Amino acid sequence: MTDDDPVTVNVARNARLRRWPVGLAFSLPLVIGLLMFTAYPVGMSLYYSLCSYPIFSPPRLIGWANYQELLRDPRFWLSLWNTFYYAMAAVPLGMVAGLLLALLLNLKVKGLAFYRTLFFLPTVVPLVASCVLWNQILNPQQGLINEGLRFLGLPAAWTPGWLTSETWSKPALILMSLWGCGGGMVLYLAALQDVPQELYEAAALDGARAWHRLWYVTLPMISPVLLFTGIMGLIGAVQVFAQAFIMTGGGPAESTLFYSLKLFDTAFTEFRLGYASAMAWVMFVFILLATLAVMKLSNRFVYYHT
Amino acid sequence: MQRDKRRFLHVIVAQAVLMALSLVFALPFIWMLSTSLKVPDHIQSDSVDPIPKAWFLPRHGRLVRVRPLGIKQGRLVVQWRGGAEKGKTVPIAPRRLLSRPYLDWRNYVEGFQEFPFLRYLGNTLVICALSVLGTVLSCSLVAYGLACVPWKGRETLFWVMLSTMMIPGQVTMIPLFILFRHLGWINTILPLVVPAFFGNAFFIFLLRQFYRGIPVSLLEAARVDGAGDLRIWARIVAPLSKPALLMVALFTFINSWNDFLNPLIYLLNDRKYTLSIGLTMFQGQYNTEWGPLMAMSLVMALPIIVLFFLTQKTFIQGVKLSGVKG
Repeated sequence: MTDDDPVTVNVARNARLRRWPVGLAFSLPLVIGLLMFTAYPVGMSLYYSLCSYPIFSPPRLIGWANYQELLRDPRFWLSLWNTFYYAMAAVPLGMVAGLLLALLLNLKVKGLAFYRTLFFLPTVVPLVASCVLWNQILNPQQGLINEGLRFLGLPAAWTPGWLTSETWSKPALILMSLWGCGGGMVLYLAALQDVPQELYEAAALDGARAWHRLWYVTLPMISPVLLFTGIMGLIGAVQVFAQAFIMTGGGPAESTLFYSLKLFDTAFTEFRLGYASAMAWVMFVFILLATLAVMKLSNRFVYYHT
Repeated sequence: MQRDKRRFLHVIVAQAVLMALSLVFALPFIWMLSTSLKVPDHIQSDSVDPIPKAWFLPRHGRLVRVRPLGIKQGRLVVQWRGGAEKGKTVPIAPRRLLSRPYLDWRNYVEGFQEFPFLRYLGNTLVICALSVLGTVLSCSLVAYGLACVPWKGRETLFWVMLSTMMIPGQVTMIPLFILFRHLGWINTILPLVVPAFFGNAFFIFLLRQFYRGIPVSLLEAARVDGAGDLRIWARIVAPLSKPALLMVALFTFINSWNDFLNPLIYLLNDRKYTLSIGLTMFQGQYNTEWGPLMAMSLVMALPIIVLFFLTQKTFIQGVKLSGVKG
């Protein structure tokens, strides 16, 4: 039986057509789920974004007014800036830190399993528990970090105020996010172990130094994973919420008022559901554009070997 | 020879760096544990000392634990916490106090009194269990439909499903809230568990990959023997994909356990809270008392950490698979 035998193809096609009720029946949960929990809410969200909708009275169409108001809303721009700052620092730094850990572990050191487990462990800790923990670690007076800095000889006046300081609150949350860089590390390590050894041998024969091997062999070979973690990290960072909600409430002086936090406040404390939906759509479009831009850029840098 | 020497040196340096880094990564854990076991006044006086200590006073040749109460006329008033005179107070010269290692479980006792852990745990476990059941069941059925039954349109459905993964939760959050409010589901666990019964794009993707690896001849043989699709799914495909299903169950469990935003939106009163919401509220009340806070954070994190150690292989495998998709 070969694929190009016309009779077989015909029989297979008929069988295919007759089997669709079964296939659809099995996929029914997904179909219903997509309609009810994705398509319907996405459509409604777009509609609400064009409405004035204080929760206790029905939505009323007001056209683009919500989007126009967004452009004039200083807290919208502030939250955009805060989120941009956080994402632009936390994502690349987290990737570099994860990659460095993976490169270290890839040197065939003893105790690899132990180190890998330990570095990965922070990503397992429930976010709420990490937030409560880091709230104390970052305490300017008795927190672990400032006590440590003083122990290392930094004058008390120079230690940062972390979450109590307008300047240091975002770096504090970025620092906390770096504790979780082990998630990326696991992926990078797996990718590093898949790089064919011959490439390094060939490079070494050509007289490539360690730095060149990293730049011309290792990084291109693992670039698809870097791209993936970059995009996922970006999407995650743009949606950062719990840290600010639990640890700072958006303060001090709204320096950690992130986009998602403002959106949540607008929807569930001010109950301006239309305005909040407009914010959600701006975020959605931004994520789409950012992802497309990264993909486009990556065409030049990412190397897929099959 | 020269190369071997250099390589050896590299490994030594890497090992040293790794040891230093592991200390950095472990410190928050050590600190959480030690703070949770410290006497309250020791947290304030020496928060970096990793070994929990308490104050002791020599009496009749042995050390008896005391609790400092305050300064009175230049003398430190302390209360005996052990020995024959337990509970009585005595003024002493402050320099006579000795600091010695001591594990104090008071923070846990206090935490469990103020933080209805068992109720929150029960609520969380119900949500986790139903989510796991719903996700495993629906995802494995759908994955069978997409991988093992040839039909027109399955590719389209698959790509539609994948493209929905790009939609951030914030977009669907508000209409879903309105929908569930109309259904009268606010302050119930239904909004947190019902969607689980309608599949999850990422897990369906994982399972579909796995199911496609099952030899078609096996399914055909069963079909020739007269088995229907439901039977083939239940008797052949599901048992063969046990590791993949376990992985889905594991990640669903952890996601529900850790979920913060959804319980925050839908659960309105204290009796319904999950651990993550409960802990957040607890932090609001206990802002300055680190001992109970650290104790309760640890109690919330511990089950997941233990689960991670028990399922480490599956866990890491799952994390790697999540990256393959890229």
